[in-house]
Amino acid sequence: MSEVSTATAGRTLSVRGLGKSYGTGADENWIIRNLDLEVPPGEFVSIVGPSGVGKTTLLRSLSGLVPPTEGGVFIDGDELRAPHPEIGVVFQDYSRSLLPWMTTVENVAFPLQGKGVGKAERLGIAERNLAAVGLGGKGNLYAWEMSGGMQQRVAIARALAYDSKILLMDEPFASVDAQTRLDLEDLVVDLHTNLGVTIILVTHDIDEAVYLADRVVVIAERPAHVVDEIHTGFGSHRDQVETRSDPRFAEARGRILTLLRSGVAAITQSVAQP
Amino acid sequence: MKSRTQQTSPERGRRSSRRQAAARGSKAAVVVRRIVAIALLLVLWQVAVLTGIAPGLTPRVDRVALALIEILGRADFWLALLQTVSAALTGVAIATVVGVTIGLLVGSIPAAGRAVGLILDFGRSFPTIALLPVLILVIGANWRMEVLVVSLAAVWPILVQSLYGAQQMTSAASEMTRSYRIPPLLKFRRVLLPSALPMISTGIRIAVAISILVAVGVEVLSQTPGLGRLITLAQGGGRWDLAFAYLFLIGCFGWGVTALLARAEGRLLRWNRLGEK
Ligand SMILES: Nc1ncnc2c1ncn2[C@@H]1O[C@H](COP(=O)(O)OP(=O)(O)O)[C@@H](O)[C@H]1O
Ligand SMILES: [Mg+2]
Repeated sequence: MSEVSTATAGRTLSVRGLGKSYGTGADENWIIRNLDLEVPPGEFVSIVGPSGVGKTTLLRSLSGLVPPTEGGVFIDGDELRAPHPEIGVVFQDYSRSLLPWMTTVENVAFPLQGKGVGKAERLGIAERNLAAVGLGGKGNLYAWEMSGGMQQRVAIARALAYDSKILLMDEPFASVDAQTRLDLEDLVVDLHTNLGVTIILVTHDIDEAVYLADRVVVIAERPAHVVDEIHTGFGSHRDQVETRSDPRFAEARGRILTLLRSGVAAITQSVAQP
Repeated sequence: MKSRTQQTSPERGRRSSRRQAAARGSKAAVVVRRIVAIALLLVLWQVAVLTGIAPGLTPRVDRVALALIEILGRADFWLALLQTVSAALTGVAIATVVGVTIGLLVGSIPAAGRAVGLILDFGRSFPTIALLPVLILVIGANWRMEVLVVSLAAVWPILVQSLYGAQQMTSAASEMTRSYRIPPLLKFRRVLLPSALPMISTGIRIAVAISILVAVGVEVLSQTPGLGRLITLAQGGGRWDLAFAYLFLIGCFGWGVTALLARAEGRLLRWNRLGEK
């Protein structure tokens, strides 16, 4: 693990008064509005909210892929206007974000080629990061020769190899089977502990949000905004059985569930009465 | 290879090997059926000539076969073949560079893709051969003129396929290149081009078939040196057996090149076949 680059100087990500709308005039539809969030270096934040609330839209704003309609996203105080060289993204549609004509190691090394890193060096970095996600020696496979869980590990390795200080993940485990999901959750927890990167993970799964994060940010309603924040207080230690039976886990889970149920009701109402 | 197959799930491995075996079996059957069909055609032809059903100048199959053997031993045939083939393939090469570059550039701009539809339809249906008199006047009845006509005809299928090919790049791939700040040229080479390659290679195959037809056509019409000219000379001399033998050889050649391209495509685009889910 010591061979993998460690985030030394982290970055603070701040979201101030973020609003995102689609359409104009009478058709203007606010997906997100007045959303504030501050993530210090090295924190693991999960953002949880019901499907369709605007989680992907939020993550795309945080990654600089879409410009906010109002407010802004700031990295160490500088406004983010385009994708940032120290932000790695793991997409919801991970299998499609891997290029089928490249081997795994080429896929992981590809963003480094864009950064101007020489061939031997970038392939070496890619191999080391593949090893870090448990895919050592699998670099010559193609994505379509791998299971969904392995593909997701490749996408994570790519984000790490990019030398990201901030990792953004959009429902990364939504489409893998239950056992693989637990393995991947623990992998991400380990990477966070060992590398010290900031991780912002978006999910609709309350249990997953609580299990993984130092802090759970709940977003709800339309337009979406932060309705609650919960510090889990588990520290850096996680265990799939122990942590999930911790009373604090049950309490956080119950609190978010209650909140989201009323939030879902609010969304249904706002859609029903335009 | 072995270690790779182990990685795929057994379900998929079994299915694909069964599919391969089935494909091999049906392939042999297709070859047999083709040979039977060709033999049948030749017999019918011979019978038609001997019974006088066929038009008067149609040569007998055995005469054409003899002419074939005669041709293969003649230096002027090989020179003509070289002239025709070099003109056709040079034309395709130029058409590929021009068609792929323009097609991918225009195709990756969503608004532009729709706007050029009309121009494409016009270009595709334009009878390039009609330009021949003008081009002969300007350039002369020579190899360069032939190459130009071939590339004018061959560029359209490649352009159209590249244009649609550029749209095959998924939004997931384009989000990835944007968020990882892949520079434009690298994106063009390593993402856009490979995404479009399956469609481009179909375009090139169509273009190669067209190029041989056009090259021979230009030679027939303008008496530019090449196989087309040999055909007209044979006809002029009343040697219909020779003319038919040339036609047969051109057909074989076109088929061979297309088969070769399909093979190269299968190897180059292995990910495309195996990657589909
Ligand atoms: N490009 C777009 N144009 C218009 N509406 C959009 C666009 N992208 C997302 N939306 C809308 O924004 C809402 C939130 O979508 P999304 O962020 O994908 O939700 P989530 O990821 O939480 O499921 C949805 O109602 C969706 O229809
Ligand atoms: Mg989403």
